[in-house]
Amino acid sequence: MIEKALKGNRSYWIWIVFLVTLVASGLSAYYQQRWFGLTVTGMGREASFGIYTAQLTFLLGVAASAVMVVFSFSLRRQKELAKTVIIALFMAVSAALMSMLFVVADMGKPDRVLNIIFFPNPRSLVFWDLLLLSGYLATSLISGWAMLGAEHKGVPPSAWVTSVMYLSIPLAFGIATISAVLYAGLPGINLWLTAVLAIRFIASALAAGMALLILVTLMLKETTGFDAGKEAREKLAMVATYAGIANVLLLGVQFITTTYSNLPWMWFSLIIGVVSVTILLLPALRKSQLLFVGACTALVLSVWVDKSAGLMIGGELVPAPLGSIVAYAPTSTELFVVVGIWSLGTMLFTALLKVVVAVKVDNEG
Amino acid sequence: MEVMMKSSKFILMVAVAALSLFAVLNVFRNGEAETSQKPLPSVSAIDSTKCIAPASFMRANHMQVLHAWEKSVVREGDRVHIAANGSRFQKSLGTCLGCHNNRLFCFNCHSYANVKPKCWNCHLSPMETP
Amino acid sequence: MMNEQRREFIKKTALGVFAGLGVASGLVPAFSLEKTALPVWDEKPVPGKIRWGMVIDTRQCKEGCQQCVTACHHEHNVPAFKNRKEEIRWIWKNSYKNVFPTATNSAVSKEIQNRSFLSLCNHCADSPCTQICPTGATFKRWDGIVEIDYHRCVGCRFCIPACPYGSLSFNWQDPRTAIVDPVTAYPTREQGVVEKCNFCSDRLVKGLLPACVDACPEQAFTFGDMNDPVSDIRVVLESNVTMQRKPELGTKPSVFYII
Repeated sequence: MIEKALKGNRSYWIWIVFLVTLVASGLSAYYQQRWFGLTVTGMGREASFGIYTAQLTFLLGVAASAVMVVFSFSLRRQKELAKTVIIALFMAVSAALMSMLFVVADMGKPDRVLNIIFFPNPRSLVFWDLLLLSGYLATSLISGWAMLGAEHKGVPPSAWVTSVMYLSIPLAFGIATISAVLYAGLPGINLWLTAVLAIRFIASALAAGMALLILVTLMLKETTGFDAGKEAREKLAMVATYAGIANVLLLGVQFITTTYSNLPWMWFSLIIGVVSVTILLLPALRKSQLLFVGACTALVLSVWVDKSAGLMIGGELVPAPLGSIVAYAPTSTELFVVVGIWSLGTMLFTALLKVVVAVKVDNEG
Repeated sequence: MEVMMKSSKFILMVAVAALSLFAVLNVFRNGEAETSQKPLPSVSAIDSTKCIAPASFMRANHMQVLHAWEKSVVREGDRVHIAANGSRFQKSLGTCLGCHNNRLFCFNCHSYANVKPKCWNCHLSPMETP
Repeated sequence: MMNEQRREFIKKTALGVFAGLGVASGLVPAFSLEKTALPVWDEKPVPGKIRWGMVIDTRQCKEGCQQCVTACHHEHNVPAFKNRKEEIRWIWKNSYKNVFPTATNSAVSKEIQNRSFLSLCNHCADSPCTQICPTGATFKRWDGIVEIDYHRCVGCRFCIPACPYGSLSFNWQDPRTAIVDPVTAYPTREQGVVEKCNFCSDRLVKGLLPACVDACPEQAFTFGDMNDPVSDIRVVLESNVTMQRKPELGTKPSVFYII
């Protein structure tokens, strides 16, 4: 099946070459970081987490959110999502892979990454988080690929595929919850010390993940003519809206109880979050394709800003362990690495989607 | 005029240096070409009664021994190694290098076998000792 | 006081030294790398038997004196990066406000506000840093010392925000470039690992007191085994009112301060 990713039109290849270029520039920036150490980043004594961890936090959510589609389709039997399930699974695969790459990019000694497996510390939430993430990556890839294979052959997927898919559901909820509890349990950073963080991780993950999935299906419709269906998008939008409402409510509460109100980026996140949720909620506004796409994009952006600028960087701006404030700003090397990893993930997602669309077009035609 | 002299001398010196460097590099390259016949690097004679294990065993397993030592010293605080003949040693790189005090003891073999152990990233290498 | 501490040490370790003579027969320290001084504790230690602790009498700590800091950083090859972003420190002087930010008595005297308070790893009994470390590289030793296994650290840096006292430093670049006057008796660290105070586990094993304790001209430190009811530190702890840093977090630090 994979050979289908190697057959594409001109614009497909232009897109791939574009991404390869970005991956290459990311690699060269990473090489520099490996050589000189993490000194080439903007991180430092007081800001030991930076944009890498911010991406990780965002992408963990996106990866985990895809399970909502699996959940609705396989457990709640929502047949209109049938065409979206594999796309969601592959989005989870790409996001989980990117998360892992960001973990490695952030490590001082990435050559020792396997120590996490050789010398696991069962008391460590970091260990469990990474374990669940790799498990989730595997279950999503296996079940997605097997489902697509079955579709390719024109047979229903085997029973074990469904079992693997079921297995990914607790893994996804585990990832979101454990990451949040992990952050909340860091005594050095007061801003995260709240139980609402876990709920907000799940809510914001669902909002951003579903909005992103809508955008992906729309993009597929535009570029390949493969349409996952308006009903599917309506369903996804519903989940995104409810999760988005929960997220902005909880975020608003945190503005009152914590120091979020000092951070201009968090105001930006809150405002565009509220606006996008309002558009998605009102049928009159939602009907316009332009506003619909805009609202989905804004929702993703709102969560991304909240997770990166707000949660990670803001958490460290507000008195760190030593009670002193050191501003963090990513360096160009860091940004190149970030773009490189995003491009690699996007490339993988594009290739997987190419196979999906090719199989679906084959079957329909 | 004198400046001219100086600069031409300088050029000559650079040329000689470059040529000799080239020659030296070539010698090494020739050496590499016949690695199969190259004898094992010689090391200074060691009183084997004071070794923690026979040389043949150590030649093949010193890395495992060092890893086991590192683990038991750092993680368990068990710092004394008791050899088969009952003699006792402190588990330390310094114990090995106290006897094997040829500066090139580690490096001869490692460069021959082209392995790059990371011990000296933190521990002081015998090459760096005053 | 100093002499008594030493006596206590010698008493405790006399047995070990005699046993160590046996070790000496198999050991020829001809070559001075990291010197193989004989371990004071010959046998494998029993976990939990000893718990090292430290009391700092801040009234004795003189302004401008950096002897403990210098001694510690020199002895352990701590690099001296000048820029704040990459600074590495095992022990350093700090203000009352920063060391006890959550202390309920905020209206302290001018003298206390100006006094220096030493910050170092607290070697907590319930240490958040060892709990979060995914590989167990930061771990709790048999004698209560929180140690970093530099062979195992992957440099994920989760321990840094996990520590409420800011005791861990990361090697953002190769530390060897910034070691001013290197000593051969102790290893350096390498680029990409986290490091911190080790309560001088390297000196304790030789029967010596920690470098900072030894270096202090005012004898402001008391160091010893808190599990030993007749130890010096127990006497000092029982006869003084002491403070721990952020006790409300329940980390149970092993470093105490007399204010």
